[in-house]
Amino acid sequence: MPVTCKSKCGKAAALKRPKTGDALCKECFFAAFEAEIHHTITSSKLFRRGEKVAVAASGGKDSTVLAHVMKLLNERHDYGLDLVLLSIDEGITGYRDDSLETVKRNRDDYKMPLKILSYEELYGWTMDRIVSQIGRSNNCTFCGVFRRQALDRGAKLLCVDSIATGHNADDIAETVLMNVLRGDTARLRRCTDIRTGGGEDSIPRVKPLKYSYEKEIVMYAHYKKLVYFSTECVFAPNAYRGHARAFLKDLEKVRPSVIMDIIYSGEQLRFKDTVKIPVRGTCNRCGFISSQQPCKACVLLEGLNRGLPKLGIGKKSKGDRMIARQDQELALRERANLVKNDF
Amino acid sequence: MCSIGEDDFGDEGAAHAMVAESLPTGILISLGDCSKCGVASNELYKLNFRVAECHDCFLIHCRHKFRAALGAAKVLPRNADVLLSLDGSAESLVLLDMLHFAQTQNTFRRLHCNARVVYIDDQSVHGGESINLHALQALSKRYEPLEFYVTEFGASPCSLQRLEEYSPAAKEPHTKLNKLRSLTARQDYQQQQLKHLLASVAQRLCCSHVFESRISGDLASQLLTAIALGRGGSAALDVALLDDRLAAGVKLLRPLRDLNEQEVRFYLHARQLKPLRQSGSSYGQERGPTASLQNLTYAFVHNLQQNYPATVSTVFRTGDKIIANAHEELDSCAHCQSPLDAKLSDTLLAIEYSRAVSEAGVGLSENGDDSERLAKQRLAVKDGLCHACRCIQLELGSDLLT
Repeated sequence: MPVTCKSKCGKAAALKRPKTGDALCKECFFAAFEAEIHHTITSSKLFRRGEKVAVAASGGKDSTVLAHVMKLLNERHDYGLDLVLLSIDEGITGYRDDSLETVKRNRDDYKMPLKILSYEELYGWTMDRIVSQIGRSNNCTFCGVFRRQALDRGAKLLCVDSIATGHNADDIAETVLMNVLRGDTARLRRCTDIRTGGGEDSIPRVKPLKYSYEKEIVMYAHYKKLVYFSTECVFAPNAYRGHARAFLKDLEKVRPSVIMDIIYSGEQLRFKDTVKIPVRGTCNRCGFISSQQPCKACVLLEGLNRGLPKLGIGKKSKGDRMIARQDQELALRERANLVKNDF
Repeated sequence: MCSIGEDDFGDEGAAHAMVAESLPTGILISLGDCSKCGVASNELYKLNFRVAECHDCFLIHCRHKFRAALGAAKVLPRNADVLLSLDGSAESLVLLDMLHFAQTQNTFRRLHCNARVVYIDDQSVHGGESINLHALQALSKRYEPLEFYVTEFGASPCSLQRLEEYSPAAKEPHTKLNKLRSLTARQDYQQQQLKHLLASVAQRLCCSHVFESRISGDLASQLLTAIALGRGGSAALDVALLDDRLAAGVKLLRPLRDLNEQEVRFYLHARQLKPLRQSGSSYGQERGPTASLQNLTYAFVHNLQQNYPATVSTVFRTGDKIIANAHEELDSCAHCQSPLDAKLSDTLLAIEYSRAVSEAGVGLSENGDDSERLAKQRLAVKDGLCHACRCIQLELGSDLLT
């Protein structure tokens, strides 16, 4: 006998919601999924009428569903938002070039303006070139740090009031575990926040999918026949997040509610007064938000431009020594040239 | 899709990524000089990140950790009455040995407290073999003049008996525990009940403090388990040196919290101690890593301990940086005595809202506000329980947890 939809709509259930374990038909699942995101947006007061919001779009399932649902809810509930898509082209051949095609299709489907910013135009480097310099061991450091700043730069360029990112519940729970595993209290404090940044010098980032399970996002995209790009990056995966992810997936198999429980736990953690809180300011070189001087993006870029790609990897003191050694060598060479000219 | 964001990078880039460590460590059964005292020894102990040391120097090092944990925090008043919870594990034997040693020192170095030992017979929940009375009696003899008591899990504190008077009887299965559907809930419930039992035994024996034998690896596992169970607000107390949530003001202390698994293993060898039970044999663990959140976390941390011991230490140290999310004006959970939420949590509301909208389905467009009202009503139930204990209560059905 077929299982009927939990909502008593009379239809046969098409799926079992991973989040609640309820059997629902497709229509009721769509209604529930969209209602939850609407509830997240309204109860957390993520946006205000008339605001311009950049949806960070990578072409993946999360950002595609986010763009689709944001457009739908904006029209259905009359949020009065001006939505734009913002994409970053890291310059990864065989990965980002293909996914950007998906974003362009989203632009046409949802009739939202799209702005693409590339690492090439912002930093003068593509990830392909960076990987050729640094190799495959620390390339994700460059990509992650540059992407964060690139989104800020793009948002500033588009004059938006906030950036909506596709972080889902699984991502947040994973981040909580990852920060516990490496004892990063500074990030542990803020990783569960639905809104981050938003001071005088920065544009806030919001996570409307904070309470949406990854599995449900995939189901929604599948049943709605949304076009998204699902290939892994061609460069090395991040081993550290991999540990937390594998652990979380195992936990989820035992008790699906664990994802929300971890987020709840992360929000409830309180830190001793003696634990240092990093002061967030702005980088005195580029002017973008940073808790160190100069910001990580500027240090990494300096390393690439100096021909010292490992400059920003590892301890700051190590980087300082590398710069001092290079400056010394340059000074020696200059002196040698002067001596040569004397003759 | 790449999901690597800024959270993946510390101030030192990705250099903090987990790297498997392989250090030549272990008990060296060969003649050599102790790197600490320089005396020749035929048995050297080489711990991770420490030089090879002789038997005596190794024992001094481990015992110092025990004394330092108690001394630095000044948590144990002079001549306090202490109850040591012995479960037969390697860690509890180490604690017993250290406590006994500390009490038999000369006056100047002695740990001034009156200790008693309680063995909790958990055969009613554990099944399997009954208590090994001979081994317990041997321990009691070895550690004279400490008094040994035995009680049974799930029994009333009145059933507490001196070891020499104790005779095991056929046990009734624990009814409430067996009603719980999942092993996760059962293990969580069992852990809370164990604390209640320890508090009542301590009260009966007029002890103000209870010593628990958890070491750093156990506490790392406990921290991750607490987070996975939704006990983040009280996780700090689950791993702290001092846990003051027990009834009647009894305080739970964890003086072995700075010891690691390797130190315990070497200590057993050095003192020729034989555990009464194997590690990883506590309630429900025989059902394998995928049977519960606790088992899975234990297996995860055990794997880290083997390959990435520094990460286990980091997790444990993270526990040192947090405090309980307590509010003076608010009550504690009626079951686990953890602090209750000060205000309605958005995440808990989102969980209840999901349940409500699943029930409403396509009819949502007309009654969206009703779902929120329903979710808030469900959260407002005055049961005096925290979120994690509510999860246990949900599985218990009509039976009340408290």
